Amino acid sequence: MTKPTDLVQGTLDLLILKTIALEPMHGWAIAQRIRRVSNNVLQVNQGALYPALHRLEQQAWIQSKWGESENNRRAKYYSLTRAGQKYLKAEESNWERLSSAIGLVLKTV
Amino acid sequence: MRWVQTVSNLFRSLLRRNTVEQELGSELRFHIDRQVEENIAAGMAPQEARRAAVHEFGGVEQVKEECRDTRRVSFLEALLQDLRYGARMLRKNPGFTTIAVLILALGIGANTAIFSMVNAVLLHPYNFHNLDSLVRVWETRGMEEGFDARSVAPADAADLFAGTDVFQNLATYRDQTFNLSTEGNVEPIWGDSVSSSFFDVLGRGPTLGRGFAQSEEQPGFERVAILGYGLWQRRFGGDPGLLGKTIKLNGRDYTVVGIMPPKFSYPVPSELWVPLALPAAEKADRTQLTTMALGRLKPGVTAEKANVALASYAHRLEQEFPKTNAGRSATVLQLRKELYLYSLPLFSLLQIAAVFVLLLACANLANLMFTRMLGRQKEIAMRTALGAGPRRLAQLFVSETLLLSMLAGAAAVSVSFWSVRLLRTSISVEWTKWVPGWDGIQVDSSVLALTILLAFAVGLLFGFATVLHSGRVGLGQTLKESGPGSLTRSRARLRSVLVVAQVIFALVLLVCAGLTIQGFVRLATMYEGFQPGGVLDAEIGLPKNIYSDGTKITAFYKQLLHSASAIAGVKEVALATNLPASNVNNDMTPFTIEGRPVTKTNEMPSADLLVASPDYFPALRIPLMTGRLFSESDNDAVERVTIISKSMADRFWPGENALGKRVRLGAADSNDPWMKVIGVVGDIRQNWWNPAARPTIYTSFLQSPRNGMSIILRVESNASSYAAPLRDVVRQMDAGVALVAIETLKTQVVDSIGIIRILGILMGVFGLVALLLSSVGVYGVLSESVAQRTRELGIRLALGAHPRDLMKLVLGQALKLTGIGLAIAVPVSFAVSRIMAALIFGIVSADFAVVAGFTFLLVAVALVAGYFPARRATRVDPLIALRYE
Repeated sequence: MTKPTDLVQGTLDLLILKTIALEPMHGWAIAQRIRRVSNNVLQVNQGALYPALHRLEQQAWIQSKWGESENNRRAKYYSLTRAGQKYLKAEESNWERLSSAIGLVLKTV
Repeated sequence: MRWVQTVSNLFRSLLRRNTVEQELGSELRFHIDRQVEENIAAGMAPQEARRAAVHEFGGVEQVKEECRDTRRVSFLEALLQDLRYGARMLRKNPGFTTIAVLILALGIGANTAIFSMVNAVLLHPYNFHNLDSLVRVWETRGMEEGFDARSVAPADAADLFAGTDVFQNLATYRDQTFNLSTEGNVEPIWGDSVSSSFFDVLGRGPTLGRGFAQSEEQPGFERVAILGYGLWQRRFGGDPGLLGKTIKLNGRDYTVVGIMPPKFSYPVPSELWVPLALPAAEKADRTQLTTMALGRLKPGVTAEKANVALASYAHRLEQEFPKTNAGRSATVLQLRKELYLYSLPLFSLLQIAAVFVLLLACANLANLMFTRMLGRQKEIAMRTALGAGPRRLAQLFVSETLLLSMLAGAAAVSVSFWSVRLLRTSISVEWTKWVPGWDGIQVDSSVLALTILLAFAVGLLFGFATVLHSGRVGLGQTLKESGPGSLTRSRARLRSVLVVAQVIFALVLLVCAGLTIQGFVRLATMYEGFQPGGVLDAEIGLPKNIYSDGTKITAFYKQLLHSASAIAGVKEVALATNLPASNVNNDMTPFTIEGRPVTKTNEMPSADLLVASPDYFPALRIPLMTGRLFSESDNDAVERVTIISKSMADRFWPGENALGKRVRLGAADSNDPWMKVIGVVGDIRQNWWNPAARPTIYTSFLQSPRNGMSIILRVESNASSYAAPLRDVVRQMDAGVALVAIETLKTQVVDSIGIIRILGILMGVFGLVALLLSSVGVYGVLSESVAQRTRELGIRLALGAHPRDLMKLVLGQALKLTGIGLAIAVPVSFAVSRIMAALIFGIVSADFAVVAGFTFLLVAVALVAGYFPARRATRVDPLIALRYE
């Protein structure tokens, strides 16, 4: 099941956390949002999305709550916990360090 | 608080599995439905839209399984499964389970029961706030002194408090017996006169009323009293109206100003406190160490730091007041450790013995477990063949042994509840009232925690031992075999080692038990030398306010001796300041020998000091070696005389005649008069913790009168019936004087060494358990080995071996195992008994007979334990044995 852009493990976590940092979202909306924002480059595979959501919840970075969806159905909404907000910040700066370092290497070599 | 949520998520997944499953299902369904809507909106036909959505999603069940995996409950689920399986296995083998649980429960229970004593008596003797910063403060005179001689001079105490920066607060106090009279009835009460800071230092105040004011430390203002809760309930029915009323103590009126809370008693067993009002002259006194002191250290000041500061300040006092303070230093000791001098070795010994019992039980159980594992080799091989990894197998065994040890832990808790109750009820209050913390002996949370910890540790240990033991199961070999599993050579050796270990533990424990019991018997018979059976004793405290000088005191006691000897049936009457087996040390005093001046105070010789009446020695059957005893004419008007003990004569006048030599109490230039040695008497043992013979100086009660004396009556028979006549005599002389602690000397002796008896009994129980367990261990290994060798034995028989040879073969194995164990254990026992002798005041001594006796006992037990398997070996039917397998 290789998709055009397979996400590196860990990167998906970062994308999920960043996406729900704005407002609580359900799984489908998270996938949609990531695809739309990345101009269809990042296609999140459901087979990876839901295990990732459950893992993050188990690790208590995010929490879930059942709520009314935009089409008036019950959906599971995920939001960041306080620990998750800190974790996101740390991961973001990690990512920036890493990508700028890679950029540096690519440019110079 | 991230972990809180993690754990609660974990529990939710574990305990509410159905809900979690449903939620997972509807979450994924919602996703697909939402995609269907989206597809329809994009213009697809409904059916096509659903097909596309489902296709895009992929395997729903696969996603679900991955989600479940993230919840990490698979480990726990497997654990639950293993526990259930373990429980089933244990239920299936009730015999094994019962024995294993019993063995472990004995081992763990012994430890928790002893720990409950250690916890109360050594670790939490008092329930005062911040106990670790409370210290006893006293001055040392450069000689070895007992725990009840820890006192300070009043002026020094004040200086030590003001001059050093270590105490937050300091209190002084003096033990005192009060004669409390109500309606013509005089009751002696243990109590203390205390400085007004006393209750502040302890951090406990009265529950009713108030503490003492500083103004009440002035002589003339001290007629106020605080009562202990127990006394208040017992004598005054808990009447709250008692506050403000007066009670009669030592014939004077005191106003009750406070009632202390229940269970408060310091120093034990006090029940009454009055202000310590010292006259100005006594307050400024440095010559005598007359009061006790109790300090609260400042936060951050440890006992070590305080000791350094006090020593250097005491040095300054030494230079400032050389006449009184030369050779004196000051020291502190945490209140908790007040009685460590004797409680620490006794209880440590018990705790170590209990640990030995546990180790023995573990060695024993290990053999049982390994035998059982043999029967399960097939199961293990099958599990391995079916794909169970080493980790999964380990988890299986560990959960099984944990279950077993937890059961044992639960049984151990009831064992300790039961034994603690027994301990507390079986020991005479007369002894235990002097032991702070004894009332606190209970199975509390820390004892329970220790039980659980021990059970858990043992369970884990056995689990992993089992895993290691069964680690290398030859798969094909085991599955092919049709008989029961067999021992490999290395495993058989391991089991023999375990048996040898049991023999070692058993002998060491038995020897310790034997020596303790021997020590108790020896102590008891030594005190028998006084023939305590026909002696009644009591204590008398003449109130200082009425009996204020020597003439009045001697007049009273002379009259008392006269009247008491007139009681029909009384053979001898005598007085002494302290009696043997009183559990109180004698006063110790430095002294000077005429013609041998010592310049430095701390190099002065010292001896026990006892004031006695002439008949003291005959009444207690203490032999006169040379010279004469005191007589009525050795009174105040003539030259001072003294009688010394044999050990004193031997120490200071070796090879010389001590008679006629002169000694004086204190330094060469002290004010005490010279005393001529007129007699030498035999040594007596004062208390069980004292060495057998201590240099002792006896003086006559006529020449050095004391307010407090013990009276002894040697009577024809039935000593306890003389209590009433003796009390009558005293009442007729002075109704305000009470007799304290009237009992027969026999009771006193038995009570005073009660703790040694308890030690002996507990050690004896440990020894018996050790004997039982190790014999079961020898039996188990031999029966196992006979069962393993059935075939070999059958061949031997078929080839013409005589049954007697087989008997010898098996018994020889038993003797070999025991012999190796004993060869190691005998020297170890000697070493241990020597350590023990050093620890508990020479009560026990390494004794060849005891070691030899128990060695033979163990050999005999091994032979008996080996006999049954050996008999089975001789009855092997060669035909069956050869057909077997």
